[in-house]
Amino acid sequence: MATIAYEPKRPNIASANVQLPAVRDYEQVDTEITATLRPTKAWFAALLVAMLCLALGISAWMYQIWGGLGVAGYNPPVMWGVYIITFVFWVGIGHAGTLISAILYLFRAGFRTTIYRAAEAMTVFAVMTAGLFPIIHIGRPWKFFWLIPYPNWRLLWPQFKSPLVWDVFAISTYLTISTTFLFVGLIPDIAILRDRETNPLRKKILAFLSFGWRNTEREWRHFARAYLFLAAVSTPLVLSVHSVVSFDFAMALTPGWHTTIFPPYFVAGAIFSGIGMVFTIIIPIRKWFNLRHYVTLNHLDAAAKLALATSLIVGCAYMVEFFIAWYGGVKAEQDYFWNRVFGQWWWAAWIMLTCNMILPLSLFSQQLRRNPTWLWILSIFINIGMWFERFVIVVPSLSHEYEPWQWTTYAPTWVDYTILLGSFGWFFMWFLLFIRQLPVIALAEVKEIVPPRLKHAHAHTPDAADDFEPETPGAHS
Amino acid sequence: MTTPAETTNGVKRRDFLKVLGVTGAATTMVGCSTDQVEKLIPYVTSPDNSVPGVSNFYATTCRECAAGCGLIVETRDGRAIRADGNPDHPVNRGAVCARGQASLQGLYNPDRFRGPMIRQGGTLVPIAWDAAIDALHKGVDTAMKSGKAGNAVFINQHEQGLLHTFLDGWLKYRDMPAHISYDAEAPFATIAANKAVYGVAWPKLDFGAARLIVSFAADFLDGWGLPVPQQLDFADARGKIEGAPRLVYIGPRRPLTGLNADQWIAAKPGTAGMIAQMLAGKVTPAAAAKATDVPQKTLEALQKEVASTKPSLLIAGGSGPKALDLATEVNTLNRTLGNVGVTVKPAEAYGAWEGVVPPAVLNDVVAAMEKGDVPALFVRGANPVYSTPAGLGFAAAVAKVPFKVSFSSVPDETTALCDLILPDHHALESWGIAEPVKGTLGLQQPTMDPVFNTRSTADVLLASLKPLPCFACPADAAEDRQHAADIAKWPADYRGVVAAHIGGNAPLQAALPKGLLTGSLPVRVAPTARIMKPAIAGEANGEYYLATYANLLMGDGRGANKPWLQELPDPVTKICWQTVVEMHPETAKKMGVEAGDHVTVKTAAGTLTAPAFLYIGVRPDTVAVMVGRGHTNAGRYANNTGHNAWGLLPASNDSAGGYQLVGVRCSVTKVDGHSMIVTTEGSGRQHGRGIARAVSLQDLLSGKEPEHEEFIGQAPGKFLPGLRAPVANDAQGELGDPKSNEMGEYDPKHVSGRAKRRWAMTIDLAKCTGCSACVTACYAENNIPTVGAEWQGPILYPDRKFPGANITRSREMAWLRLERYYELDREYKDVAWNADQPGVEARVIPMLCQHCGNAPCEPVCPVYATYHAPDGLNVQVYNRCVGTRYCSNNCPYKVRYFNWFGYGEPDRAQYAFPEPLHWQLNPDVTVRGKGVMEKCSFCVQRIRGAETLAKVQGRELAADEFTTACAAACPSRAIVFGDAADANWSVAKLIDDRRAYHVFEELNTYTAVVYLKKINHPAPAGATA
Repeated sequence: MATIAYEPKRPNIASANVQLPAVRDYEQVDTEITATLRPTKAWFAALLVAMLCLALGISAWMYQIWGGLGVAGYNPPVMWGVYIITFVFWVGIGHAGTLISAILYLFRAGFRTTIYRAAEAMTVFAVMTAGLFPIIHIGRPWKFFWLIPYPNWRLLWPQFKSPLVWDVFAISTYLTISTTFLFVGLIPDIAILRDRETNPLRKKILAFLSFGWRNTEREWRHFARAYLFLAAVSTPLVLSVHSVVSFDFAMALTPGWHTTIFPPYFVAGAIFSGIGMVFTIIIPIRKWFNLRHYVTLNHLDAAAKLALATSLIVGCAYMVEFFIAWYGGVKAEQDYFWNRVFGQWWWAAWIMLTCNMILPLSLFSQQLRRNPTWLWILSIFINIGMWFERFVIVVPSLSHEYEPWQWTTYAPTWVDYTILLGSFGWFFMWFLLFIRQLPVIALAEVKEIVPPRLKHAHAHTPDAADDFEPETPGAHS
Repeated sequence: MTTPAETTNGVKRRDFLKVLGVTGAATTMVGCSTDQVEKLIPYVTSPDNSVPGVSNFYATTCRECAAGCGLIVETRDGRAIRADGNPDHPVNRGAVCARGQASLQGLYNPDRFRGPMIRQGGTLVPIAWDAAIDALHKGVDTAMKSGKAGNAVFINQHEQGLLHTFLDGWLKYRDMPAHISYDAEAPFATIAANKAVYGVAWPKLDFGAARLIVSFAADFLDGWGLPVPQQLDFADARGKIEGAPRLVYIGPRRPLTGLNADQWIAAKPGTAGMIAQMLAGKVTPAAAAKATDVPQKTLEALQKEVASTKPSLLIAGGSGPKALDLATEVNTLNRTLGNVGVTVKPAEAYGAWEGVVPPAVLNDVVAAMEKGDVPALFVRGANPVYSTPAGLGFAAAVAKVPFKVSFSSVPDETTALCDLILPDHHALESWGIAEPVKGTLGLQQPTMDPVFNTRSTADVLLASLKPLPCFACPADAAEDRQHAADIAKWPADYRGVVAAHIGGNAPLQAALPKGLLTGSLPVRVAPTARIMKPAIAGEANGEYYLATYANLLMGDGRGANKPWLQELPDPVTKICWQTVVEMHPETAKKMGVEAGDHVTVKTAAGTLTAPAFLYIGVRPDTVAVMVGRGHTNAGRYANNTGHNAWGLLPASNDSAGGYQLVGVRCSVTKVDGHSMIVTTEGSGRQHGRGIARAVSLQDLLSGKEPEHEEFIGQAPGKFLPGLRAPVANDAQGELGDPKSNEMGEYDPKHVSGRAKRRWAMTIDLAKCTGCSACVTACYAENNIPTVGAEWQGPILYPDRKFPGANITRSREMAWLRLERYYELDREYKDVAWNADQPGVEARVIPMLCQHCGNAPCEPVCPVYATYHAPDGLNVQVYNRCVGTRYCSNNCPYKVRYFNWFGYGEPDRAQYAFPEPLHWQLNPDVTVRGKGVMEKCSFCVQRIRGAETLAKVQGRELAADEFTTACAAACPSRAIVFGDAADANWSVAKLIDDRRAYHVFEELNTYTAVVYLKKINHPAPAGATA
């Protein structure tokens, strides 16, 4: 054994080249990962809970459509509330998927391989969830199509100066591209499922969905190019879509909204919240489906660093907001920020600051970065914190504007909360259905990093199997 | 001749297809309709003067209070839709208060009696008029047979006119005593003192001639005396700027007049008389200071100022043991100071309070009723069961009267105890006459057919005389014949009574269009009353004084079932749909009470538990409660809304026979419970935002700009309202084509000429008193729903089921609101009592859509539901609105209102216009649906109406030809509307006033509403206060 001249105690993890030592051959990859497709009692129970939440949310929405928006907790001039907050929350979550699958793909960040499929599915479902909220939020939801520029005999177009119209384009574009990207990445995997499927009907459907994939070199060449191009197309969207969402606020002259830092601040926040949600989803999956040797601690460690980086950006943005409010000298803006942090809304602001700025500082500790339990707990705090970030942006601004006579407060009602719950039901219903139908870890991409010598089945050595979760930081990287 | 086809049996294929096609198409067309098919049926024979869709106007007299203002009621297709002031009327000169406008909601009140009713087995059941009149006749007959007819009581709501002679004639014929002309709102001490000193009940108060006005607890801008003429004159006086009077208010609570005052002297309840005596030189300032708990130097300064300022105007209000002494002293002072004939003009007396009977007469009535001596009780209009002090015990005594008849048209606590209801017409359906100003008669005429099956009381009484000869009369045949002969001379109906007075039908017809003619009414003499011993302050237990007051809206309780008045916040406290106990923050702190905590006020007469409200305008040793709410049986909007402060008052009278409303001793204790305060106030301070600006007279005259008016980011220079604003080139139409150079209607040279105009408004804060009449005018004109009723919130919601629940979520829909700011640097709860300077400067500012030339709301609407019209209006298209509410978020003025519920849908609990309230809806304005945004439109229907009229008549719009509803109603004449781009309009001159400013000018919104700064009149040099 050669002597190692210098071995740092806490080696840095090279995230570009994360290996999977416990994965030996293609067959193992197929069997272990497709194990998620077998329904279990827990899966059914989870789906039931999700659909129950969804049913509650739908009932509440029906009541709201019938009764009018007054059943929600709006308190003018707080004309936007839980629905817009939740809209931005889900759009934000939708950003991590494309970041991981597209941007990290372009940057050749190896740790994305085993988490990107889950993140990408999460993106599609989060955007699907987010897209509902502008409709839930408006006074006459049955007229929402007036926001879409369609030809009509009255020659009426939407107001193209309105950020809400930009939203329509941004969200629909993002949903289209991310769905396409998800689907294209799935083609080789669907072909694998097709090959393993025994039910003739399902086999036919999977054959259709896989576009008759035959695993030829030519197909792979085209696939790789297509994937690369789609990644390149998606990449600017990650930055632009949430910038556009931030314009909903930044273009208004409301104190607390009217600020140029919003686009980068929102994008960083979106990625932060998205990674939080990835942790929330992927940590239980790797545990319950025994996929810890695919999503290793090295992967989590690398992803946690990304979370830490975005948390620092977001925290910096908070500080810049305060600084500019003071430096800008506009009385309404200063009053608003004081009221936000030390006045009426101190509790919301401090939930936000604690969850998004203070708690993620724990990720400077490598031990905590490699502790899935802590990461999962932290991810819940990040989700809460990011929801409250949008709360703090939407509600305190509107409740404390230029006109002191119209300063108010805001308290959501059970309808707001039930529709919020319903949105989680809707999201998790889709996600649960997804993991039951399609591989939650990309089969083809995992196979790419399995060493060639292990491509075919061979005798297992027990010591290698025990080593799937690297206790030593940096092992196998 | 028959064709072969017709002779064949059965249906031919072609015919079948034709039928199929036609029926199919018809079915499809019917199916396309989204609602029930409704039919428009034209008149077979059109009534005279009625053109569908064109308004008719009727001049009449307002009966909502005793003043007798002139109204012009607009009717459309036979329905009264609007009550405006009569510009020719000497009392109100075209202005009208909130209460007067809300007379329409009395006319269309959904709780009005549909027809006569009789009590059977404890409940009131409908009955036919013939049977009802028969029952009246029988009841009267029984009363007469009982031999106690001389004790019968007829209580009539006090009004000017001829009905009193008619009633007394009828009562005399029935051997009954003269009726009681009752008005709980009448200021008796002042009336008595006026009669004693000036010889008239109510002289004209010429505010404009005065340089100094001192009000001794007379809230002459809100519910005291004759609010509209007082406010008109006061605002005129203050609008003069140079030579405008300074106003000093003396009293334990600071009401609306106090807010408008330049100085508030917070004398202890019931001690204002000491200050009057001091001014008269009868007591020393030191003695007065001791009695009133006011710093001596304040009183000395006042003394100096009154002595040196001529002419002045001293007004006495107040109630309590020494109210008459105070009023007499003040009136005498006016005489001594030489004000009579200058600022107090007995020669131009108002007729409002002539003949009003002091409430103290009820003392004997109650005593008689208790003894069972009263055989019959008749009530018309008044509600003595509610609006009498609890200590009087009126309700309990009524139960001992065997025959109780009400002629009131709306249910109330008194009708609930009556056996027979013979509902009168509403005032707007009735004939009548008044002498509002000495020598001038105001006519009252029906503005529409009766809404319900009601009958004029005079007609009913006449009809009840039909079964002659009088079978119950004494056997004195001669007297009987004399009565019969008298009655035969009576006109057939009350219209005839009015016509007979002014000389017949022809003069009546000639006078009706203007509603005015010269003449006079018979002199009325009020009977004297037995005065109950006044409760001397300090006699009863309790460490606090109670100050109850009536504002203009609820009055003595008569306004409570009108949703406009319930929803309109009190001009001072900004409370609506709720009764609160007002206490000074220092008092609250001492008791450990926070705003909304329940407190119990206990007097010798009763208790009241209501939420506490921190009011900096009430002395720390006093708590104030407004009367008028807390009804138990006065209709859906009144019942269980608030608490009844009459229940706290003892049966004591002031020395003129009025009720003692102020100065009763009470104890206040904190109890369990907390309620949300139902208020429209967010923060009552400006936080340095420069919304309501003021300038002192000296600074204005010297041209000095105060320092605190500077803002960071303030736009440099002055600009005309919106004229420099960019043309709204984002508008659609011809501009929808990006390649087109056509500006369309936005081109000033366009044939429509719209772009040449710029509609704008100025609001003079030196005149605005904050009375809020404009708000009700806006509700009436623009079909704004009231949202505060208990059932107008969400259906499925566990809490927030209380009157005003929607208001606690700030969901009021008032397109125009009155903001009342105090110049404070801290929150109310931290305000300490400052005896030297108790009155914090208050400013009121009406806030409405500013119709910005560069409107922030316009570019953010994704569907063009709000856009800029060529003439500068910021237009809201309800049909296009999808309800994103972004426009409201981006509005710095927060003047956009959202329809959270289906307030305009009849099948919903939240429906704001239950039958027949919806008859009042203005047909020119849409009733907005659920889920759309709305806001002030500058009364666009009036603008387009005037433009169309001018076009039809082939002329240009004349300057000041029309105005908005708020400006038309404003009793301060503070609002001026017009075309700012045309120099002929008044508004174009006013926007260049030296006091003009825009709110949030620094945001570059280029508003079309220009405010003129309020003017403060500090105490003159040398007199430090």
